[in-house]
Amino acid sequence: MNIRRHPIGAVLSALVIAFLWLPLVVVFIGSFDTNSLLTSWTGATGHWYSQAVNDPNVRAGFETTLVIAVLSSLLSLAIALTGALWWRRAPGRARLIYDGLVYSRIVVPEVVFASALFFLFLKLHFTLGLPAIVIGHAVLNSAYATLILQARLIGLDPALEEAAADLGATPWRAFRRVTLIALMPAIIAAGLLAFTFSLDDVVTSYFLQGTSQSPLPIVLLGMIRFRITPEINAVGVFVMLLTVALLSLAVTVLSTAGRLGRSSRRSRLVSLYER
Amino acid sequence: MSSTTTAITLDAVSKSFGELVAVRELDLDVRRGEFFSIIGPSGCGKTTTLRMVAGFEDPTSGTILVGGRDVTRIRPYHRSVNTVFQSYALFPHLDVWENVAFGLREARRPRAEIATRVQEAIKLVQLEGREHSRPSQLSGGQQQRVALARAIVNRPDVLLLDEPLGALDLKLRAELQTQLKDLHRAVGITFCYVTHDQGEAFSMSDRVAVMNAGVLEQVGAPEEVYRRPQTGFVADFVGASNRLRGRILAADGEGRYRASIDGVGERRVSGAGGLAQGAAVVVVVRPEDLELSVTPAEPGGIAATVVDVAFLGAQRTVRLESPAVGALVASTSGGARSVERGSAVGVTFRDEHSWAVPVAV
Repeated sequence: MNIRRHPIGAVLSALVIAFLWLPLVVVFIGSFDTNSLLTSWTGATGHWYSQAVNDPNVRAGFETTLVIAVLSSLLSLAIALTGALWWRRAPGRARLIYDGLVYSRIVVPEVVFASALFFLFLKLHFTLGLPAIVIGHAVLNSAYATLILQARLIGLDPALEEAAADLGATPWRAFRRVTLIALMPAIIAAGLLAFTFSLDDVVTSYFLQGTSQSPLPIVLLGMIRFRITPEINAVGVFVMLLTVALLSLAVTVLSTAGRLGRSSRRSRLVSLYER
Repeated sequence: MSSTTTAITLDAVSKSFGELVAVRELDLDVRRGEFFSIIGPSGCGKTTTLRMVAGFEDPTSGTILVGGRDVTRIRPYHRSVNTVFQSYALFPHLDVWENVAFGLREARRPRAEIATRVQEAIKLVQLEGREHSRPSQLSGGQQQRVALARAIVNRPDVLLLDEPLGALDLKLRAELQTQLKDLHRAVGITFCYVTHDQGEAFSMSDRVAVMNAGVLEQVGAPEEVYRRPQTGFVADFVGASNRLRGRILAADGEGRYRASIDGVGERRVSGAGGLAQGAAVVVVVRPEDLELSVTPAEPGGIAATVVDVAFLGAQRTVRLESPAVGALVASTSGGARSVERGSAVGVTFRDEHSWAVPVAV
């Protein structure tokens, strides 16, 4: 008997899927519950959504989160793009060291980096708050952005830039007319990824926020400590949808990027129809 | 040579990559308007030489002139030279028209001029109707022609071609060779062509340069390089050859010698200039110049046994083994009395078909 067809396999798969996704379903259902203590289902309402939208605490948290996410993803991109472009032409040993620095930002636990930054900023008398959080997020998220840009750069034929130079383009013109355009899908994807990661960050923000307005995830954490209400569920659903939307946008852009150069816009459309 | 007749001049050009010397003390003149090829095995420095002319590599020492102007320290985007890359390097995000227009746009030519010149170039390479295709929608041969149009539309002093047919299949290559030759005649630009395929270079070029291990071995018309190779390497590289070891007995004037050939005896031979008496030489005989006879006892003949006969259409290649001189290759135009595997034959060649080159040191 094929193990993939065995009933036990099917049951196990269902259990694992339930384990992974049930919490989200519970949050989703809870966000519509009229029972403010969430002890039992007493009927559906959209009240909690309007309460969440009108909650000044939630609003301020969300605005702070957005500002941090925009600024830190731009900073991440700047770091990742300049770094990856240098890395492309760097000598072998330097490349290895650079790769090590990138991977360490991904592998080392975030709490280590967050506390290290916390002590560093204290030493430098750099006021904790929004700018500190932006820098903190960029330190970590630029590593992911770098990986995406590197992957794209590896596939970029160096002869393309030589061809541009051969045809009279100065290095800056060649960069703008060839390299940057070829990299654009990866830049968009890397930016979106950094944005999403910044959106739901708790650890780094918590260490570096000081006395300033907390970003949304920390606001939620504070609300839970006080009391669990369907309003939190509503905010959770909202953030969930936003994150999923951004991530799928990043994935779409990246997968189209993989085909760029091998298929034109028109044939891409055709292949979409054929699917 | 004066600048009015010379398109490219290389003066003692060397290029090292760390320990590795890619090109050593290269002196070379490419004449204005000619189809010039540089051939050699991979790693011989031919592509490095081309890249130095284009400006992608700086020579370690020496001077490069294009059209009489010293361009040694000039960046590629300021050189009146265009390149057809081995990978074509077409811009994937631009269509055929925009690829061809790239150089003219960078030169900030007026819009109307760009339109006419691009259209002309596209017509020249027979890609009318494909102006708005992306490179990825074109076949290999079509992409190759876009790369050509993109380069010649700028009317450079010199067009550099780096194995432009390398990625294409045999039939297409032969077709494009003819087209390239016609194109060269039509535009009158100096072509400098790099390839490892001597047959390709011979069929298209006015002159060829043979390089080996970073050193220029010989420059000349294809026929001259084939018939009168100056070194053993050239003799070997530009086509199948039989190599007989021997020694110079006496020089009989310019390029005429008496030589003792091992296993053959004393013969009159032609050869590279300046071979001294007693010099060890290799006597080269082309396969088509070996004559086979079924009577092994012929005077002056080399006794040999047929190892294999390969039928190649118009002619056959006969592999032979001789106790006196070793392995031989002959090609015969498949006459009535064809030889068979295992038969004993006598091999002869005429004095004027033998060519002595110095043994490489």
